[in-house]
Amino acid sequence: MQRSLLVFAVLFLTATGVAWGQSSPPPDQTEQVKILLERIQQLEKRMSELEAKQAAAPAPSLSAAKVPLPEPAAAPAVQGHQHDVSVEQAAVRQMETHYPSLQIRGFADVDFSATDQKGTNSGFNLGQLDLHLASALSQKISYFGEITFNARPTQYTVEVERSIIRYDYNDYFKLSFGRFHTPIGYWNTAFHHGAWLQTTIDRPFIVKVGGTFTPVHFVGLLAEGNIPSGGLGLSYNLGVGNGRGDVISRPGDAGDINNNRAWVAKVYARPPKLYGLELGASIYQDKITLPVPNNQGYREWIASAYLVWTKGSPEFLSEFDNVHHRNIVTNQVTNSDAFYVQFAYRLPWLERSLKPYYRFEYAHMPLSEQVFTHQDQVESILGLRYDISSYATFKTEYRNTKNQPGVLGSLAQPAVNGLFFQTAFTF
Amino acid sequence: MNPTIKRVLAILSLPVWICMVLQHPSSAQTSHSTDIAVVVHPDTPITDLSLAEVRKVLLGERQYWNSKLPVSLLIRAPVARERDVVLRVIYQMSEAQFKQYWVAKIFRAEVTSPPKIVYSNDMQYDLVSAIPGAIAFVDARNVRPGLKVLRVDGHLPGDRDYPLR
Repeated sequence: MQRSLLVFAVLFLTATGVAWGQSSPPPDQTEQVKILLERIQQLEKRMSELEAKQAAAPAPSLSAAKVPLPEPAAAPAVQGHQHDVSVEQAAVRQMETHYPSLQIRGFADVDFSATDQKGTNSGFNLGQLDLHLASALSQKISYFGEITFNARPTQYTVEVERSIIRYDYNDYFKLSFGRFHTPIGYWNTAFHHGAWLQTTIDRPFIVKVGGTFTPVHFVGLLAEGNIPSGGLGLSYNLGVGNGRGDVISRPGDAGDINNNRAWVAKVYARPPKLYGLELGASIYQDKITLPVPNNQGYREWIASAYLVWTKGSPEFLSEFDNVHHRNIVTNQVTNSDAFYVQFAYRLPWLERSLKPYYRFEYAHMPLSEQVFTHQDQVESILGLRYDISSYATFKTEYRNTKNQPGVLGSLAQPAVNGLFFQTAFTF
Repeated sequence: MNPTIKRVLAILSLPVWICMVLQHPSSAQTSHSTDIAVVVHPDTPITDLSLAEVRKVLLGERQYWNSKLPVSLLIRAPVARERDVVLRVIYQMSEAQFKQYWVAKIFRAEVTSPPKIVYSNDMQYDLVSAIPGAIAFVDARNVRPGLKVLRVDGHLPGDRDYPLR
């Protein structure tokens, strides 16, 4: 492990050095651009003054009979002006939105991991290749799609992560249909599947892709918008959908597994006076039917609350989820809890490209839990993000994870320590 | 003080000085003091916005002036002073953060496109005049007749407490 880490560290530093060299343009070039732009502004100002003078001058009243023949020298000037006007009109026409206006953006990441867990190998792996589609179909109708390609031991799997059509009435009411990321808590709807968007390499336990703690996806309809609330800056999400499928990590894409619809409600505030702050709470309700054993039915309530400060200096994210299950037949109740707290700070130097971070995660699922696998997890992550350009980043992380089936407080298993590297980018 | 300790302190303080020097050039962009006017299409049903409301519009959190009129956001290309002021005062972001913000915003399915980038004042005036619901930021010295200049926090460009400068 040590040798492979050493090799990787050398490669990482080399790549960082190369990127560093490429990312900083020569200062004199920037200065020249500045001077040219100032010159353009001066010329524009001069031109507007001339135009204003021309408009103020008395316009000659010419009748058709009295129109003098154009002087040879004046003709090119008039033609030039007409050319400028037509070029500007073409530019304006080009800037107007045309429908449909499809935009495609991609996200991808390449990772390296090495841990001291017995039976695991260190090595590289391809993260998700994520394609995002956004298209305005009219002034008030838009489509959004997200498709991921995931590396598996024997093949690649393709997954439609999101497929949404949205009708906007105004800022207070927007209605969407399709497959969403469930608006529970903060992370799931803030970062989606783009590793480049999030500060850390991986998602927290409660919103792990393929995880079961909260339903990451939701198929149905969603109403959203702002709530007139003055200085509070309130907004809402209200959704109705299929809820969890046969495999509880997946939504019922091809149809619900029972006649009970899941619903979700979220309210959050972004007070304009405290720019960067967001706090919110959400509640989710569903009926789960587990095929094994005996189509057991459970009522599920998920309550979530979060508080985040999204400016980079500092960045603070915290989220708490409680998942409540009640067996419909036996009325047995279980409560599972999980939270994470993440702190990051974008350093003021090197064009604010460095961002050290720390995250603490905790998850507790009791022994009596029948829907989830019993597990307690405590994890600490210490890392550094380095933005090599506006659209690409390097991240390096140390993780200490303690997993224990059963009750917290008896963390007898040895902790797993790991080093993780990632380069994530958007294109 | 012991000369060795002095030397160690000097060496340790070197990175701090280097960082301060590296950080300094970004402040050079803010040396001018001309006001930046917020101009909108003449038919836009609004005359006064608070700075927080301007920020909401620029962040894409307010996307409609009313049910029938969507906001169309115009922003000058990098290095223009208007853009510097908008990024510094309203967004409070660096150029890189601004780009990342809009990539994330589109990815969250909150908007379908980023603000339209304009490369000259002429282009800006043409677009604001042509697109209903358009909003742009122009040097107050170059405001042309025919566009509506909005009050920000109750102030017009040139007022002592005007916030966009």
